[in-house]
Amino acid sequence: MIEIQNVSKWFGKFMVLDSINEVIHRNQVVVICGPSGSGKSTLLKCINGLESFQEGDIIVDGVSVRDKSTDLNKLRQNIGKVFQKFELYPHMSALQNITLAPIRAKKIRKSDAEQKAFALLERVGIRDQAHKYPGELSGGQQQRVAIARALAMEPQIMLFDEPTSALDPEMIKEVLDVMIDLAKTGMTMIVVTHEMNFAREVADEIIFMDGGRIVERATDSAFFENPKTDRAKDFLSKIFAVG
Amino acid sequence: MLRSGFLFRGSSYGRGKIKVRGFDWKVIQNNLPFLLQGLLTTFQLAAIAIGGGLLLGTVLAVARLSSRRFIYAAVTLLIHLLRSLPLILVIFWFYFFMPILIGRPLNDFLSASIAFIIFEAAHFAEIIRAGIQSISKGQMQASLSTGLSYPQSMLYVVIPQALRNMIPSLLTQSVVIFQDTSLAFVIGVKEFLRSANIVDAREVRSLELYSFVGIVYFIFCFSMSRITKRWEKKKRSKV
Repeated sequence: MIEIQNVSKWFGKFMVLDSINEVIHRNQVVVICGPSGSGKSTLLKCINGLESFQEGDIIVDGVSVRDKSTDLNKLRQNIGKVFQKFELYPHMSALQNITLAPIRAKKIRKSDAEQKAFALLERVGIRDQAHKYPGELSGGQQQRVAIARALAMEPQIMLFDEPTSALDPEMIKEVLDVMIDLAKTGMTMIVVTHEMNFAREVADEIIFMDGGRIVERATDSAFFENPKTDRAKDFLSKIFAVG
Repeated sequence: MLRSGFLFRGSSYGRGKIKVRGFDWKVIQNNLPFLLQGLLTTFQLAAIAIGGGLLLGTVLAVARLSSRRFIYAAVTLLIHLLRSLPLILVIFWFYFFMPILIGRPLNDFLSASIAFIIFEAAHFAEIIRAGIQSISKGQMQASLSTGLSYPQSMLYVVIPQALRNMIPSLLTQSVVIFQDTSLAFVIGVKEFLRSANIVDAREVRSLELYSFVGIVYFIFCFSMSRITKRWEKKKRSKV
């Protein structure tokens, strides 16, 4: 369970997060959407301590992110993250990308880590690409390796930061399919995305952010059929006009 | 003119006019073991300067990227100081300062080695820092997000990629170090140039000896810079 308690953050004088409150329960899938610069990605970074914040606290499974005595490395092992630009390590094969953290952070035997990695690659449908380097893979394949890399640490929570927005249209589906499968296995997921079809299919809750605030939250159908705020209406009309 | 000046002191005093004689390369042949011994010393000094400089330079570079303000300020000051001084001054300084510090005279080779390592570390540190900063922040974030610690992320993710980008600059700097080792001459290290100088004092064959030294330096430095160039080309074609 993730409890975001009154979190505020400033970059210098600019307020990026303004008193965010949110509770995400186990097995829930929460989609965060909103215009760029609304603080979505920053909020994700705060959840696993990649960014600090000045006010409030975030409690992940009972552990405070902001508490100085918290072992952030340990905490992060429990929170997988997938990035917009994949961020695979270009000097390592797909397999090495996946096994690095299990071997070095969890001290798992190399052979065991590789066996697990092959199983994960199978799950995301690219077992045959295990020995290729990121530069030799398509965008969709790279993002699926990145998902496998995050899953290799067996996290309880997965964060996705616009996982499909750097992909060519024909590759979006293969990544979304993996994410939908993951959601159906009961993974707790927080997904920043504009893929409203994904939201419709698996989201338990949709949060609409603007200007560092949560301006609207709803179960999926309610949000699409009847957005309460003008800002959300405007945003949705633009998303669907493009899509 | 040719025989005046500091470097040529040993052979020029009291000899009067330069006699123009034919080239006699035998002087090289006859003194080859001694000259090669000097060349070996040059290689040793260069290897120590490059190896030690890289190691210490990496530490300094990481310290310069530290978020702790005191470490950052202290290391930044040290690097700027060293990069502002001529190498020959640093060599002299260690040569005269170390005996005071440790209470006994220091062997000239050791003194030169320490001076070179510290001086080159400052230069390497800036190359390495730039290399580390050339790697996108997302790489560090991705690595941290999997639960690896900051030092682990540096070691396994950032530095290997940074090193690859840095290799041309590091090779270029290494060639410069190889040439600069001749400055150890001033505190009496019998490196390559000093060896030739000693032979010259005995045999008075400056032209042949210093030409030979020049050719050897040229061959090594030129081939190294060719290798560097090829590496850069290969890197560019890969991207």
